[in-house]
Amino acid sequence: MSNMIKKADAFEIVNHWTTAISFFLLVVSGFGFLFHIGQVGSVFGGFSQMRVIHNYAGLVFAASLLLSVFSYLGEALIFSGEDVIWLIKGGGYLSKTGKVPPQGKLNAGQKGFYLLLLLAGIVISASGLTIWLMPGIRKWLLLSHLLHNISFDLLLIAVTGHIYLATLANPGTFRIMIYGTVPLEWARKRHAKWVQKMGF
Amino acid sequence: MTNHWVDLKNSDVILVMGGNPAENHPISMKWMMRAQEKGGKLIVVDPRFTRTAAKADIYAPMRSGTDIAFLGGMIKYILDNNLYFREYVVNYTNAPFLVNPDFKGPRDLSGLFSGYDAETRKYDKKTWSVQMDEKGLPKKDVSLKDPHCVFQLLRKHYSSYTIDKVSSITGTPKEKLAEVYKVYASTGKPNRVGAECYAMGWTQHTVGTQNIRAMSIIQLLLGNMGMAGGGINALRGESNVQGSTDHGLLFHILPGYLPVPTASVADLKTYVEKLTPKTKDPKSVNWWGNRPKYITSYLKAIYGANATKENDFAYSLLPKPDEGMNASWLMLFDQMFRGGFEGFFAWGQNPACSGANAGKVRKALATLKWMVNVNLFDNETGSFWKGPGVDPKAIQTEVFLLPCASSVEKEGSITNSSRLAQWRYKAVEPVGESKADSDIMNELYVRVRRLYQTQGGAFPEPILKLTWGYGDARTGKVDIHRVAKEINGYYLEDLFDKKATPPKQFGKKGELCASFVHLQADGTTSCGNWLYSQSYTQKEGKVINMMARRKTDDPTGLGLFSEWAWCWPVNRRVLYNRASVNLQGVPWDPKRQILKWNATKLDKNTQKPGVWEGDVPDGPAPPMADEKAGKYPFIMRADGKGALFGPGLADGPFPEHYEALECPLQANLMSRQRINPAVRLFYGKKGSQEADIFVSCDVRYPFVATTYRVSEHWQTGVLTRHLPYQLELQPQQFVEISEELAKEKGIANGHRVVVKSARGEVKAVAMVTNRLRPFRVADSTVHQVGLPWHFGWQFPEDGSAGDSANLLTPTIGDANTMIPETKAFMVNVEKA
Amino acid sequence: MSRKALLISPELCIGCRGCQTACKSWNQLSAEKTQNKGTAENPPDLSPNVYNRIRYVEVPSAANPVRWLFVSQRCMHCGDAGCMKICPAPGALYRTKEGAVAFNKEKCIGCRLCIGGCPFNVPRYDAKDKIAKCTLCSDRISAGLAPACAKTCPSGAIRFGDRDAMIDLSKKTGYAKVYGEADLGGLGTLFAFRDAPAVYGMEEKPAIPESVIFWNRILRPLAYWGLGAAVAASLLHYVAVGPKRDEEVKKDE
Repeated sequence: MSNMIKKADAFEIVNHWTTAISFFLLVVSGFGFLFHIGQVGSVFGGFSQMRVIHNYAGLVFAASLLLSVFSYLGEALIFSGEDVIWLIKGGGYLSKTGKVPPQGKLNAGQKGFYLLLLLAGIVISASGLTIWLMPGIRKWLLLSHLLHNISFDLLLIAVTGHIYLATLANPGTFRIMIYGTVPLEWARKRHAKWVQKMGF
Repeated sequence: MTNHWVDLKNSDVILVMGGNPAENHPISMKWMMRAQEKGGKLIVVDPRFTRTAAKADIYAPMRSGTDIAFLGGMIKYILDNNLYFREYVVNYTNAPFLVNPDFKGPRDLSGLFSGYDAETRKYDKKTWSVQMDEKGLPKKDVSLKDPHCVFQLLRKHYSSYTIDKVSSITGTPKEKLAEVYKVYASTGKPNRVGAECYAMGWTQHTVGTQNIRAMSIIQLLLGNMGMAGGGINALRGESNVQGSTDHGLLFHILPGYLPVPTASVADLKTYVEKLTPKTKDPKSVNWWGNRPKYITSYLKAIYGANATKENDFAYSLLPKPDEGMNASWLMLFDQMFRGGFEGFFAWGQNPACSGANAGKVRKALATLKWMVNVNLFDNETGSFWKGPGVDPKAIQTEVFLLPCASSVEKEGSITNSSRLAQWRYKAVEPVGESKADSDIMNELYVRVRRLYQTQGGAFPEPILKLTWGYGDARTGKVDIHRVAKEINGYYLEDLFDKKATPPKQFGKKGELCASFVHLQADGTTSCGNWLYSQSYTQKEGKVINMMARRKTDDPTGLGLFSEWAWCWPVNRRVLYNRASVNLQGVPWDPKRQILKWNATKLDKNTQKPGVWEGDVPDGPAPPMADEKAGKYPFIMRADGKGALFGPGLADGPFPEHYEALECPLQANLMSRQRINPAVRLFYGKKGSQEADIFVSCDVRYPFVATTYRVSEHWQTGVLTRHLPYQLELQPQQFVEISEELAKEKGIANGHRVVVKSARGEVKAVAMVTNRLRPFRVADSTVHQVGLPWHFGWQFPEDGSAGDSANLLTPTIGDANTMIPETKAFMVNVEKA
Repeated sequence: MSRKALLISPELCIGCRGCQTACKSWNQLSAEKTQNKGTAENPPDLSPNVYNRIRYVEVPSAANPVRWLFVSQRCMHCGDAGCMKICPAPGALYRTKEGAVAFNKEKCIGCRLCIGGCPFNVPRYDAKDKIAKCTLCSDRISAGLAPACAKTCPSGAIRFGDRDAMIDLSKKTGYAKVYGEADLGGLGTLFAFRDAPAVYGMEEKPAIPESVIFWNRILRPLAYWGLGAAVAASLLHYVAVGPKRDEEVKKDE
């Protein structure tokens, strides 16, 4: 396995799955609430129980989101000119032959996605907590309800894209979240600067 | 009520004064607001801006206890501006009567009427009489100009009740007085009608009876008596007060308002001679001339076969108070306070909270050897021995509680303010060991009788000779229908109308009486209460409980609902209704036709032409203009006339303004006589008790106070303080004070305060409000406060409600009725 | 079935509060331990045990010490109900066939969003965190009876009947403006006002909060369509552009 490079440690993998599963539960139950889907409610054992699960899943989501900071935030906050070019070129996804400048451990899109996820995640968690724990002040309740739903829509779309990009759009990527490693070639192609930095 | 609840919708103007129907008679407001919807005006005169005032077209504030000044000003206004209904006044009232020239009034005698004896505080009423002609009929001046005629005396009496003076006494702004007078006096036209509604705000004063008299004068001047939408309407303080008063609740009247004979009225003959009003006027019906029939039938009802012609119908068995004895509430408790009683039945009452000067009442209870408290719940009266400031060890009174059934746990009738007797049914069985009052009475009677039978005793006959056929042979329980039937009365013999040819049969022996018209003075009929004769009757052999009728037909559209239940007398819905038509029997106002003389239609009974159509008339006689048979409309008066001049009362034939016993003024602005000269004073004479202390114009007690009730509670609250729902709405004692007074005393809204009078104190929450404003009286500012009397120390158990406002009220009664003056007294308010 | 409504006429209300007690009695709501705080008005607010209360409104007056108005506060049974709109639990709030907004405690999840959705600050939550409010006595009206408050009102201040008839009645008796005739899809609790609603302590133009409307019109459908669009775009990209394969990378090198 000498041609493999470690991209994610165990902590990151576990935390990512925590985020993903809680997010999945939140989205499904959220859809149940939004569109009054009885079957979804039934799966959760009724709407009251679904609310409990939604709330606690939200806590887990928030916690894992905060923990993700250790894995990604440092990287995500460093932007360079190459990131701009990457963004202008649409990450090379606009055509089969799209070229982008070499990227670090996270490419500009990933940085952007992470920052969006973090921001929207904080907003959705905070507003969710407000609705859950402090519904007494109507103004806050209404503001929270609004923000919760705006961030929900954003996250929903962004995460859908994230899943696509991490699976179908980039075969071989998904294994990071299982083994934590990727083939060197895969990494060179996508994160050349990082590979270089790592001394390969 | 001379009229009835539904009739209020027919009024052009309704004056609510001395009452607060929105809070205490909520249903009545529906009809008042119907009148308003049709353009009628609601006027509310009250020291406080009440929930009734909130619905009024005109609200006039007035200092407690100054109603006569207010109304006297209206009388003067009506007379000065010729707004009275002249035809009505001349023909239907005693306005033209010439009064004894020796009669003098307060304008001549500095506030007194002629014949006053300061020693006894009583009037010799010799001069309060009418001049009679040689035929024994009152002398009259129909031009109303003779200086001795009632009309001119009335004018003179109220000559000093100018708007300026009235305003300086009542504290009512002058323009408000003028507005009220103008609007109310507008009903002096034949096609305009005004009604008055009052309650305890008028009666509970030292001048209580005269408050109502003053309004009677106004209603007669304006021709509002007998009219649909008119009248004087006592809104009774409890759902069956009318019924209990009709049936002899008060110490001085037997059922049907027959006088209780005093000891000196030794036999029935004397009773009849002395107490039956007489007239020589053939046009006067003088209905009380039938009193011999009613008292005899009453004696037959209560003593049955033991009442015979030979034994004076057992008249000697009737209890008779000593001459001059007064057995009113205040006197009873005064005697009890002085140790005059061994035992006491507190039946359906809570005097420890409801009695004026409740502190004295509570002390009085401690003198008893025993007390029987008959009530739904224990109350402050039954538990007085463990009340605030009482050492149970020092009390020797043995208290028994007999739990009784509530109104929905028993069958029977109640009579409401409309004089409407309605039959009600039992909804549920009494709880636990509680029993209907009638069953408790029955058992009590049976046991007392057995004691007399087995052990003898002094004068057992009044008990042993009573008829007591109420018990059901099987259950031993009272069959309340038998009581109702006894009240209605029976034919004891086959009875014939001897005037008819051939004599027509009234009824068969043993049948229920058809009406009081059939009652006899010879012992051939029995009747427990003549007013209720026809309430439970028999037609063609079929027994009919008229009180249980529930038909809702209203052919006149005036809301008489003549086939809904039954009202006394003989189902007449508007009293004195013969005054609603002119001398020919044509309605004054065709729009409000409750009665009309149809001269051509044949009378079913006599087969002669001429019948009244509409309500049951005040007697079948033709209208007054009929030379031979015509009658005056006010049939209950010996002279047949509405009394502008009313010599029957203890304190004067015309109402005169006197201040309340406790008042903020050193002098009465109207005369030199400060308080009603004819009231019985409890304090300030030899042998008087400190408990009866009163103060007037005293800096320690500078504020006028009144007590009142609120919608959310009932009387002393025994029935409502146990109900969490009611307590939630009104949890505790409060006192309403004006913002100005609050500022003066440094009290904020919601503060705990203490209200003190010379007799006691009550803790309360201050309700600082604009709804109560200071009065400008005699060029100075007078503050008024008000507090409800529903609360007591016992319930709720944590004592959070506070104690009764009657701890503050004085021991003083009206000169005529002895009803306590709880609506005007002096207090102080301090931060607690 | 035609829509039913209450017609409340503060001008006819005498403030006796029989309706408050009748409401509690019928709905078996327990009493609150209250205190007199210097006003006759009590309990001080709607609560899980108070579905209906009379507010005692004092308005300055030239002719009288005050103008004293008695105004019922309770669920308005909006035709377009903010509470129902925002409620995430199906069946917790529902419309009866008479047009009332009723609730089912079994289905309520206790989230309190309805408080935010209500333009009139009506919903309250009980100790078990379930919604409680006036239901227009749905159990009574479905059996052809009037709501307990209307049944007990002695003065005609609370009347109940077909909504159209109530509006007609109000107009016929001289109240040209019926509060709630058109607002919020027409209220099921109509008020006959003589003066501007503000005099009675009511909003001139009651409305569901803008944010709730925005959420309902935009954000909620966006969740649905947004997810769909994101998935569709991904698929489209997969087909049209295709994935980035490592083999290609090799080839390039």
